[in-house]
Amino acid sequence: MELLIASSSVADAGIGCWDLESGAEQLRYKSCASPPHGLACVGQRFLASSQLREQPSASSGSILYWSWSKPQVEVKSLPAEPIKPIAANSHGTYIAGGGQSGDIYMWEVASGRLLKKWHAHYRAVTCLVFSQDGSFLISGSEDGCVRIWSLLTVFEECESQRASHLYLHSFTGHTLRITDIVIGYGGVSATIVSASEDRTCKVWSLLKGRLLRNIVFPSVIDAIALDPAEHVFYAGSRDGSIYIAALNAESPSTSSYGMHIIGSLSDHSKAVTCLAYSTGDLLISGSEDGMVRVWDPITHNIVRMFRLAKGPVNNILVVRRPLYLNLGSFSNPHTSSRRHGSQLPPPLDKYVTSADEDVDNKGVIRLPSLYNAPRDASYISHRTIDNHLKELQQQGSSAATEMEVERLKHECNRTLQMVQQWKKMYENLHEFCVNELLDGDQVDGSKRNAV
Amino acid sequence: MARSKAASKKQQKQQQKRGVDFKKIKRKLGRKLPPPKNATNTEVKSKAIVLPEQSVASEKAGLAVSKKGLTLKELLQQTSHHNSKVRRDALMGLKDLFQKYPAELRSHRYAVIEKLRERIGDDDKVVRETLYQLLKTVVFPGCKEDNQGPFVSLMVAYIFNAMTHLAVDVRLMAFKFFDLVVQYYPPSFSLYADKVLQNYEDILRKNQFYLEDKAKLRSALAGLVRCLSLLPCNKRKVDSSEENMAGQKILHAFELDMPAESSGFSSITKKLKDLVPVLVNCFQDFFPSVHHMPLLDAQSFDCMHSILQSIDLVVGFFGYGIHQGKPASQLSYEGPDEAIWDHTISSLLLKKLFGVFPLNPTNHLSEKVDDRFFILNIVITEIFLRCSEWICPPGFLLEKFLQYIENALLGSTCSDSRSGKAVWEKHILLLLPFIPKLVLQVASDWKSCLLQAFTKIFEGCNPQSSLKLACLSAIEEMLIPGDDMVYPDASDPLFEYQITWIRALPQLLILLGDKHPSSSQVVLHLLLRLGQCANSSSPFSREYENMQYSLDKFYSSCVDRGDVYYGPFIRLSWDSQELAICGLYYFSNLGPFLLKSIAFCCLCSELEHLVLFRIIEVLHSAFSAGHIQIADYISFFMTLLSRFKVLPENIYPDVESDAKISNRGTFKLLTNTVCSCLSRIGDDSLVFQILEQVIFDQLLLKPPLDNACALLRVLVVLDCKPTRLSEQGIITLSKYLSGYLFEVVHCIPEDDEENSLPTHQQTCCYYMLPCFFLFDRSPKLLKLVLNLMGSLITESSSSPSSHSYTQYGNDNSNQINAVVSALLLMHKDTKVRKIISSFKEEVVHILQIIHSLQSSDSENMNFEERHKIQCAYSRLKLVTCMLPNEVPAS
Repeated sequence: MELLIASSSVADAGIGCWDLESGAEQLRYKSCASPPHGLACVGQRFLASSQLREQPSASSGSILYWSWSKPQVEVKSLPAEPIKPIAANSHGTYIAGGGQSGDIYMWEVASGRLLKKWHAHYRAVTCLVFSQDGSFLISGSEDGCVRIWSLLTVFEECESQRASHLYLHSFTGHTLRITDIVIGYGGVSATIVSASEDRTCKVWSLLKGRLLRNIVFPSVIDAIALDPAEHVFYAGSRDGSIYIAALNAESPSTSSYGMHIIGSLSDHSKAVTCLAYSTGDLLISGSEDGMVRVWDPITHNIVRMFRLAKGPVNNILVVRRPLYLNLGSFSNPHTSSRRHGSQLPPPLDKYVTSADEDVDNKGVIRLPSLYNAPRDASYISHRTIDNHLKELQQQGSSAATEMEVERLKHECNRTLQMVQQWKKMYENLHEFCVNELLDGDQVDGSKRNAV
Repeated sequence: MARSKAASKKQQKQQQKRGVDFKKIKRKLGRKLPPPKNATNTEVKSKAIVLPEQSVASEKAGLAVSKKGLTLKELLQQTSHHNSKVRRDALMGLKDLFQKYPAELRSHRYAVIEKLRERIGDDDKVVRETLYQLLKTVVFPGCKEDNQGPFVSLMVAYIFNAMTHLAVDVRLMAFKFFDLVVQYYPPSFSLYADKVLQNYEDILRKNQFYLEDKAKLRSALAGLVRCLSLLPCNKRKVDSSEENMAGQKILHAFELDMPAESSGFSSITKKLKDLVPVLVNCFQDFFPSVHHMPLLDAQSFDCMHSILQSIDLVVGFFGYGIHQGKPASQLSYEGPDEAIWDHTISSLLLKKLFGVFPLNPTNHLSEKVDDRFFILNIVITEIFLRCSEWICPPGFLLEKFLQYIENALLGSTCSDSRSGKAVWEKHILLLLPFIPKLVLQVASDWKSCLLQAFTKIFEGCNPQSSLKLACLSAIEEMLIPGDDMVYPDASDPLFEYQITWIRALPQLLILLGDKHPSSSQVVLHLLLRLGQCANSSSPFSREYENMQYSLDKFYSSCVDRGDVYYGPFIRLSWDSQELAICGLYYFSNLGPFLLKSIAFCCLCSELEHLVLFRIIEVLHSAFSAGHIQIADYISFFMTLLSRFKVLPENIYPDVESDAKISNRGTFKLLTNTVCSCLSRIGDDSLVFQILEQVIFDQLLLKPPLDNACALLRVLVVLDCKPTRLSEQGIITLSKYLSGYLFEVVHCIPEDDEENSLPTHQQTCCYYMLPCFFLFDRSPKLLKLVLNLMGSLITESSSSPSSHSYTQYGNDNSNQINAVVSALLLMHKDTKVRKIISSFKEEVVHILQIIHSLQSSDSENMNFEERHKIQCAYSRLKLVTCMLPNEVPAS
């Protein structure tokens, strides 16, 4: 049950939402003009998108929230400067935004607090990606630089002061604007692939912090998607085809496209602007002509096509359908909205506030709950948690020791049983061996007799 | 001779015959008759004599032999002969043999080396020398490509043995041998570093030898320098070598946790620590010769120089270890003794080395001596600068060195002669990499002094010299803000110089031309880096912006009367061009001035078409990032399309070679690219409005057919089904199109119909297609064009030479033929046929005109013309008749 979500840079197109399996269109969320990498699904709870400025004179951009059930914008935040790329970690606790001046902003979603803002690049940030476990943030910039930030270092004051630089690695191999970044699985030893307008994609190692492979494409690559097994990655280019580049093996250089490029998917008449890979082994591409195409990457055929807008599609997300979001709620938004009420967190702050000033009247991160759980209690003040903690500290100790004793007893029993079992096994084995030997002797004897 | 001797021996071998006739006489046992007194002893004693390989003229036939006719085996045996002359001759013979038969060496190399290594510790000087030559010139080069590890290990044991020999000569020679081994097999140093360093230490301690045998010592020390230079001391170098590796390897290849290299060196830190004091003492022993002898002779100078270089390398290695140890404690420097060596070595260096700095000749005798002192001082300065990265030198010392550095940079400590200049250039290079760090550290008055001296060097040196390159890399370090991304403020003395450097860069690029691609590449890379970090908040952004006014000559510059002078850009390598093009992206306002010169470059036929498309791609990116004004952007494309020279002009090249050099394909691609760029700008109707007038202006200038077609295509791409053309525009366009159609028809060979080659059809289609699209979108346009065609015929019949489109048809008949062909072409296309059918009366009108022409002034025409017109008439008539039948007139 996956949903395909796509947005365009044209305001009247809105955010399209389709069921990937059935192809049925769901709600269309209105008035969204997102820049590339400007759409994020925050913890599968709601959609967030940064907005292109309507007039170039407007000094500030905005970030909008839509809840699943309503097509209208519910929350509007006005950050201090125009934000283009945004990203949320997989749990939806943080939103990171990249500014035009090269700053990166980090918000806590539940409270809307701006936790940190730091100068990351010389020029505008063009894309932001969280690693799978949410411990690294990778940013690409207009100046061709890819930087990796360990959130631990960024947030720890003393750590950041001690080191000469905040970032973990800085890759300066690209000469032009970074267009897309993807990161694979594998925690600290993940591979990172970055695409740039200089017609190359580069594969980096997060662990070693160095270039592993440089692949030159026939045209500018605007989007990349990683195969889940990380054998290949797909690169959507401006000439309209999606190239398949090898990630592991040494590929024969006889390919007509260039070194390491093993094939291509092609149908687009116009440039490919965004790519996504769904868990159902489908590759989804958005094009400049406003179409979203779903490919079967094995047969290289188009499975489905959706029409989003006249303008270019520039963001595609594939998310798991939130369980409480059944079709009924789509068809009848009024009832659902009445049932859930407005559940969205407050807007994002403009400036960094000092840490302790207004902590009490802000919310805290919700304890992880199921998506379909009733969310009445989602907004708990941090006093409640303090009380919880105290209670646990006082009462928890005796209960815990009892539990420990129980556990040990149980284990002891289990071990004794095990010993018995082993003994029996040994005896069996012994007997078997002795029998074998005796039999062997007899056979030998008979043989000798025969001779 | 030998043979005959052997034969004679054989003859002598005779058995003593015993007579059978004589009966044996039984005698009493135990008694024997004494032999008679006159008996002769006939017994003959013989022994076999073994003479190995004496008679082997035949055996040697297939074997490789030396000049003296000895085989490899014999020569190897002779190398251990007790006579030193024989040994030497054997070695010479081997050299001779291997030079003649290299295969012999390859197949027997282990046997050879096993024998030869015994001679490393030979007592005779000449033999050792010969062996050295043999190894150096023949054996090592011959075995280069093989796996050298076991080969070297066979030798090394004997070398170490010789290093501890009693005779000093042998020992020093052994170092020379080791040097040779390291030259050909560098990893051998890290394998045996421990032992080698120990041996060096031992020999340097026994300083009574130096002064006697400086020449030998010199070569040994040179070997030490070579060994130590293999130590990792420069982080950047290591990195760059890693970068180069990327791309060739398998992505997730298994790698050892510990890099092999550093693990090899980590164990020898202690040895190196012990070596430094010995080296320093050794250096001090040379002092008397400096101060008391009137001139510094070459040998002691070389020794001192090598000693200093060795110290420098060791200190560099320590510094590298410290840096390396910080992020990932890979090397074992963080042991408890780190502070100790730090302290002892630095105090030792401070006292004994920096204390005596600068070395000055007692009396100025010759320039050569001055230069030698200069070199020594420079190396000491380098050591000091390396040390100052991790120890804090006392203030007075720093002052002394800074003073010297400034003087050195200004060139005042060196002689003025030409050789002196060369020496200065070569050695000042060593100091330049330290300047950026030094500038950050020192107080501001020194800072400006140093920067001034540095800038003087930068401006003064030859553009293609290595000094310039070193300057550039130092500048890059000082210009590009580091990790903290802090720009200097205007009050900083650095800022002023930074501006000076930036302004010098474009000039330098143009000076370098296309003869020094590597230097150009460095400059271009620096410019790109500068552009990347020159955002609006940076103080350099204005400088970077202004650079476009001086960069135009790099691309091309327009001299008067339309002559274009192409800059070095066109002839640079692909990498450099790529860097230059990428640099364009970062101008926050790329003005028409630079765009114009780039456009001229693009129009140059020498430019690779890949580069051309790359330029367009990057400019498009720059435009979408808001770095180019829309008017400039559009006029850039218009210039490209209208001025591009398509070669050859003939559409159907008659000769094969013409087809090869044709760039028509490139131009078609260019047209497509431009169209897609223009349609990607955004609102098509707005762009169309901007472009309409521009394109008409260009069209009315009557560009060649290809360019006109490209312009029309642009128009079509931006237009939509109910046309966006204005009323006035349609009228203008109709005037042009009637002429254009004529031209297309003329360029297509007459016998098109009969041959109807698919390629011809396609070409025809390519040129006609934009017109068809326009007709489809605006039927009015078609009507006007048809009217014009009709009037054209009448016009030309009345005054044949008045019209400008008659250059093809010198008479009416051709004119008419052309009109008819054009109409037929239109008729062929089903879609246009539909439209044309709605304008049947216009076509009929043309038909009538032709008819009337045929009848009216037939007396003026010759037979051929009349026939042509007749043909045309009948063809058109046929079509006209078909029109309403095919499609009912709408």
